[in-house]
Amino acid sequence: MAATTSSTSSSDPSPGPEPEPESKPNRSSRKRRTEPVDNPEEELVLGSAPADAEDGDDGDSEDSEDSVYSGLEDSGSDSDDSDPESGDEDRPEETCKDEGDVALDTEVQTEKNLEPQKDEYEQDSSDEEDIRNTVGNIPMEWYADFPHIGYDLDGKKILKPIRTKDELDQFLNKMEDPDFWKTVQDKQTGQDMVLTEQQVALVNRLQKGQFGDVNFNEHEPSVDFFTHEVMIHPVTNRPSDKRSFIPSLIEKEKVSKLVHAIKMGWIKPRRTQDDSRGRYYDLWASEEQGKTRDMRMHVPAPRAALPGHEESYNPPPEYLMTDEERAVWEQQDPIDRKLPFVPRKFSCLRHVPAFERFIHERFDRCLDLYLCPRQRKMRVNVNPEDLIPKLPRPRDLQPFPTTQAMIYRGHEGLVRTISASPSGQWLLSGGDDGTARFWEVSSGRCLKKVEVGGAIKSAVWNPNHNLSLVALSVGSVVLLVSPPSTAADKQVVTATERLLSDEVEPAAGEGPVVWSNAEGEELHQGIRMKIQHPKPVTQVTWHSKGDYLAAVMPDHSSHLQVLIHQVSKRRSQNPFSKNKGLVQSVAFHPIRPYFLLATQRSVRIYNLLKQELSKKLQGNAKWISSLAVHPAGDNVICGSYDCRLSWFDLDLSTKPYKTLRHHRKAVRSVAFHRSYPLFASASDDGSVIVCHGTVFSDLLQNPLIVPVKVLKGHVITHDLGVLDVTFHPSQPWVFSSGADGTIRLFT
Amino acid sequence: MSQLQTRFFTEDKRYVVDDVPFSIPAGSEIQDLSNVINKLLEAKNASHKKVDFDFLVKGLFLRTTLSTHMETEGISTEDVVEIEYVEKITAPEPEECMMHDDWISSVHADTECKNLTSLLLTASLDHTVILWEWNSEKNKVKARHCCRGHTGSVDTVATDPTGTKFCSGSWDKMLKIWSAVPTDEADEIEEPADRPRKKQKTQQLGLTRTPIMTLSGHNEAVSSALWIDSDEVCTASWDHTIRIWDVESGIMKTTLTGSKVFNSISYSPLCRRLASGSTDRHIRLWDPRTKDGALVLLNLTSHTGWVTAVKWAPSNEHQLVSGSLDNLVKLWDTRSCKAPLYDLAAHEDKVFCADWTEGGLMLSGGADNKLYSYKYSPCQTDAGA
Repeated sequence: MAATTSSTSSSDPSPGPEPEPESKPNRSSRKRRTEPVDNPEEELVLGSAPADAEDGDDGDSEDSEDSVYSGLEDSGSDSDDSDPESGDEDRPEETCKDEGDVALDTEVQTEKNLEPQKDEYEQDSSDEEDIRNTVGNIPMEWYADFPHIGYDLDGKKILKPIRTKDELDQFLNKMEDPDFWKTVQDKQTGQDMVLTEQQVALVNRLQKGQFGDVNFNEHEPSVDFFTHEVMIHPVTNRPSDKRSFIPSLIEKEKVSKLVHAIKMGWIKPRRTQDDSRGRYYDLWASEEQGKTRDMRMHVPAPRAALPGHEESYNPPPEYLMTDEERAVWEQQDPIDRKLPFVPRKFSCLRHVPAFERFIHERFDRCLDLYLCPRQRKMRVNVNPEDLIPKLPRPRDLQPFPTTQAMIYRGHEGLVRTISASPSGQWLLSGGDDGTARFWEVSSGRCLKKVEVGGAIKSAVWNPNHNLSLVALSVGSVVLLVSPPSTAADKQVVTATERLLSDEVEPAAGEGPVVWSNAEGEELHQGIRMKIQHPKPVTQVTWHSKGDYLAAVMPDHSSHLQVLIHQVSKRRSQNPFSKNKGLVQSVAFHPIRPYFLLATQRSVRIYNLLKQELSKKLQGNAKWISSLAVHPAGDNVICGSYDCRLSWFDLDLSTKPYKTLRHHRKAVRSVAFHRSYPLFASASDDGSVIVCHGTVFSDLLQNPLIVPVKVLKGHVITHDLGVLDVTFHPSQPWVFSSGADGTIRLFT
Repeated sequence: MSQLQTRFFTEDKRYVVDDVPFSIPAGSEIQDLSNVINKLLEAKNASHKKVDFDFLVKGLFLRTTLSTHMETEGISTEDVVEIEYVEKITAPEPEECMMHDDWISSVHADTECKNLTSLLLTASLDHTVILWEWNSEKNKVKARHCCRGHTGSVDTVATDPTGTKFCSGSWDKMLKIWSAVPTDEADEIEEPADRPRKKQKTQQLGLTRTPIMTLSGHNEAVSSALWIDSDEVCTASWDHTIRIWDVESGIMKTTLTGSKVFNSISYSPLCRRLASGSTDRHIRLWDPRTKDGALVLLNLTSHTGWVTAVKWAPSNEHQLVSGSLDNLVKLWDTRSCKAPLYDLAAHEDKVFCADWTEGGLMLSGGADNKLYSYKYSPCQTDAGA
């Protein structure tokens, strides 16, 4: 030790105390490592000298404090660790018992106390403690069950001090020993030790929350490294380097190397993680959807209507009910009432009585809430245009009549009925003025006028090409009239002549019908034969062969409503023996031996050969007005006074295949074209509606019905518009007769 | 206003101007152009009197402003426009109104009244055609022949150019060819045995004549027939067809199919076109020589009713007259197909017939019992053409 000291002094020639402290730690540390056990005396001498030199006034105290501090760090920690254990069981006796240990301890303590400079490194290591116990810095309770407490340097067990003190000893100790309060057990050694004054002072300071070092000034004035004030001049006035504004060659080289490496494919770009492949499971994905669906499906409870002026106790006078309104209100059903109460007026709020309908009202509200459908109605979002069936454009369905071409004037009064000749050259009309007129279609000239002395209800041209004959119904008489001789071929006229002049003995007295030949003036006019009926005849119609003629005498009470006449044999028969309702219209089937009979609500089809009812068509019409059969025979149209036109497909159903409600007033007459796929309906609204109606030979295909044209022209007279409609037999033209006394041709 | 380079020319020797291009405002109308021509003529000839002109650009009458016309017709405005001008066709003036006792269904003008007697043909609803002899001196007619054979009303008759034959079309769908030469012999006709002879005799006018040939083919009534030349007959029918027949062999040569009923046809030997009037208000021009069915060359649309009569002008290849159920008679020029030249609104009822005379008169008759004649002065060039 002395040698080192001398050497130090020799190496540092300058005398005086200052340099010594710097070299001291080195020396001491070196000495520590080489020699674990120091000589306290020498160190004491060495250490005291500089301390004195530094602080002249309180050198001793400082020294001691310094040493206390540095030494206590270890011992204090030891004592802290041991406190819980030692404080509980056996603290003071240990010191007394193990004397050797105590001696060692004290030695260490003195060493610490006396040599603060040398103890600098004791803070961070347990070298000194390890002198006796080498277990290291471990919780000492690990050795609680063992008889020893650790191992010494030689590997020998250090035995726990024997503790034989009982409660009484401990109490006596406490009573007698004045140092008992500052005796703690050293956990590492298991010995009791008495804290020194310095150590007690340190504990007191720490307990007060002060710094352990007395000399540490916690309120030192702080000195800025740079001033905090912003200065106008830079810290340095050095101009910036050239390299700060010149691109770095080195960097450029590096970059070019990287670029080259990337080009050559040595470096590959980092592959980005693709999360969409399902690296993460989206736990909330379905949950979220469900939640929004719930949100969307939410149906709030219906709101109660807010009170309006009517509910006011002092409503404006216009909200008060007049007597009539009140009477109406009282007559109405409670459901139909616009207001559930009668608005009343009070001069002030005080006069308003209790609301007697309160329970009712609450109950209604509860019913509203209860019956409110808490489910959203799934409204199908359909474009209304898509629901309309795809119909061809009328333009593509040409030809059909479009414009009025000719007006046949001459009738005075209603023209009730018209009929075109089978050749299409002539038109027969009959009206309320008691005349039947024959018109030339192409020029509009009235060729012949037959006075019959009564309103003509029905006029029909015989459909047989080999006969030139028309039938008129005037009152209760059916007249057979021959058209002007030029209207047909001479041979046809001759054949008709022969048919009518044949002397056939009518079956007299057989029925209610009387046949008679016309004579005199009537014969001159062309009237050939009269068939007297018991009742007024409203309609006559020919069978397509031209020999049979059906006459309708509507009557509620009789079964004698329809008569079928056979011209060649002057014979009449009543086909029906029962009254099935008021007969409106009859028609012969164009091909098969069927007879169609329209009553007010239904159309019956009778098989004439089998003498049975073959079909009954139930339209939804209230009052059928007219009937027409398609020339192919499988379809029937019915016009009715409730503005409808019903198309029946006989093969399909007894219900209408299609109902057209295009007319605004009663439909008076319907007609089919003989060759073109056209049908027309005439109505009291003054219009004729022409529809395209293709019937397909394929039974699976339903007829195509397209309304193509509304023909207007007739003037509405006495609330009557168009009374009859008929088609030209060969051209797509339609004739209509109206209440205004005209017949019009539309082409 | 932009200017157009135009060059005026005419075939009328009286009104020739120098063949130099003029710059004309594009918005100028007929009156402006007419003034220009009149100015030029006055500069040339001091004694010139003002004349109204009509102008044709590429064969079509100018009816709007020059620029609009060229735009609609797609004529380039870059080049020099060749404009032909003709003297304006003056409006036909109603000259005479001849009242009749009843509707006039047919009118025919004839210039050959040199002889004292001439032959007339009448077709009737009573299925006969009667050949009359008319003595113009005594103003008496005598029925020479009653042509029987049709079983429907006879709607049309026409004599061939030589005057020896005539054809008749009837509602019974037949076309019959008859001899037009009056003889004193009656053709035999088989009568129904049971017909009261006496009664028939009293009704008969003249000697009975039977047809030389009967041509069937139409499906509907024959409404109009005419001779194209001495061995070709053209018929129009309600079955929407126009058929051309070879009279010598008695076969049908061509069928032109329309879409509506034909009321009337007319043929012009000058332009070799057929004009047809039909129930759909249109007048259509056809070329009868085409073999491939329907080929409508031109549609003249202005009438609002059935066109009941069409007639080409005898001396002008462009002009025709039409009568319609809308009470109007219209004068057309095929070079101005959008609108007629003149509407003649003299009739008060349906017009059924119309014709021209060689002397420049137009005739029309109708359901108002009036036969109107219109004075019409065709310009000199057209008359010469």
